[in-house]
Amino acid sequence: MVNIIKRMRKLRELLWIRNGPGAIQLPKEVTKISVEFHKKLIGSQHRGARHFWHDILPRIKYRNPALPISVTRHADPAGPAYLHIFTAQPTPQTAAIPPSSTPQPTSSTPEATANDTPTHTIEIKDFHESEILEALVEKTGAVVLTTPPEEATEMAEIEEFKERAEVDRVEVREKLMKVRREEELLKLARGEISAAS
Amino acid sequence: MAHPRSLLAPLGRITAPSIASARPSLPRLAALPLYQTSIRCKTTKAPDARKRKARKHYLQSDLRKADQFSLVDAMHYIRAFEVGRGATSSKYEMHVRFRTLKNGPSVRNRLRLPHPVKTDLRICVIAPPDSKAAADARAAGASLVGEEEIFAKIKEGQIEFDRCLCHMDSLQKMNKAALGRVLGPKGLMPSTKTGTVVTNVGAAVKSMVGASEYRERDAVVRLAVGQLGFTPEEMQTNIKAFMETLKKDIARLNGTPKEIHEVVLSSTNAPGFTLNGEFKGADSVSARVLSGPL
Repeated sequence: MVNIIKRMRKLRELLWIRNGPGAIQLPKEVTKISVEFHKKLIGSQHRGARHFWHDILPRIKYRNPALPISVTRHADPAGPAYLHIFTAQPTPQTAAIPPSSTPQPTSSTPEATANDTPTHTIEIKDFHESEILEALVEKTGAVVLTTPPEEATEMAEIEEFKERAEVDRVEVREKLMKVRREEELLKLARGEISAAS
Repeated sequence: MAHPRSLLAPLGRITAPSIASARPSLPRLAALPLYQTSIRCKTTKAPDARKRKARKHYLQSDLRKADQFSLVDAMHYIRAFEVGRGATSSKYEMHVRFRTLKNGPSVRNRLRLPHPVKTDLRICVIAPPDSKAAADARAAGASLVGEEEIFAKIKEGQIEFDRCLCHMDSLQKMNKAALGRVLGPKGLMPSTKTGTVVTNVGAAVKSMVGASEYRERDAVVRLAVGQLGFTPEEMQTNIKAFMETLKKDIARLNGTPKEIHEVVLSSTNAPGFTLNGEFKGADSVSARVLSGPL
């Protein structure tokens, strides 16, 4: 089992999934989001899309837990990179509720029958992840949630801690290397190892 | 006039924290390479080996200071971490930590979860290929049945199964074939101790098809308890079933001191969340929200 201190530190850093870019409340009419891009970062055309998946989609999913989000990664480097937004068409109430209110929806996908053509399709090739998010917010009219001040200070603390850890790491490393070098020199002087090695 | 030394000592104490607080103002090394690997540095000398007594228990942490989550909260986070993954490819895992002796007997068993996690288990049955037992095993869903040809295959290193059973009558033959060297490290070697040497092969295979196996290693039992698409209610029944079987297993060890210390829910791509035993917290989202498709 992972050491408890490590685990707790990771949980303290969970704040990243609550706040930051992507902490948005999507309107009820949005029934599904799907992203499509290439598997690898060849030529970096799909880099933004992939970063969007890794950094921003978890936040969106956390804030909109009932919203189905799918990611399709194809194997064609020249292939497309799209962000599809599905919305319930004229009557938002009837189409938006089924996916969340059916008691056993694990096997069936009710939203697929409601509408299977995306309302908005955004080409996201060569987009930075923040641009993709901007486009999403603009198209759907989502509410961007603000970070509560106490969580912001805690996040700043974590950031500072990490920075200091990096500085400390360098310091300790230098010290350790120095000790090792001295030991090596001593060994050399004593003739325990040959100078060639 | 006071002795100069008495002044020095408090001064030394004053300077120490001021150095520490000055640390963040060191030149920020923002341009540090990210691949900077961490190094471990032993700060304390190991005590004399003769003096130190070997610990008999596994170290236990104090959980009162730990962050604990209700099941729904943990699933809320985990589903966010697993965004874009397949509902059947990612799994929920449980890690159950015991308070136990290092050298005591360990928990090891199989159980059938109410909602099975994995259904495509490949089972190998060692039995004479033209016997009734072999026919039973095939009917129950075993993928490999036989004796000599299986031994030959295993010795070549072709292991195309996840579980191995042995019929009681074939036990001697199997032991003669000396498969322990190949199967032992993988934990696949049939033996009476693990309940994989059986007389009624058909029933055993049947009970194994939907079942998962778990064992205690370093005071922790790990088990995949659900697919990512499961609802909180399904997870709850699975977790309850698992914990109850674990308690029965502990009771069967006849008074060996062993208690459940910590229960952690994790998944393929998410960190571990210590569960507090509640289904829902005060301000967690409704379970229905988490029941939908991913």
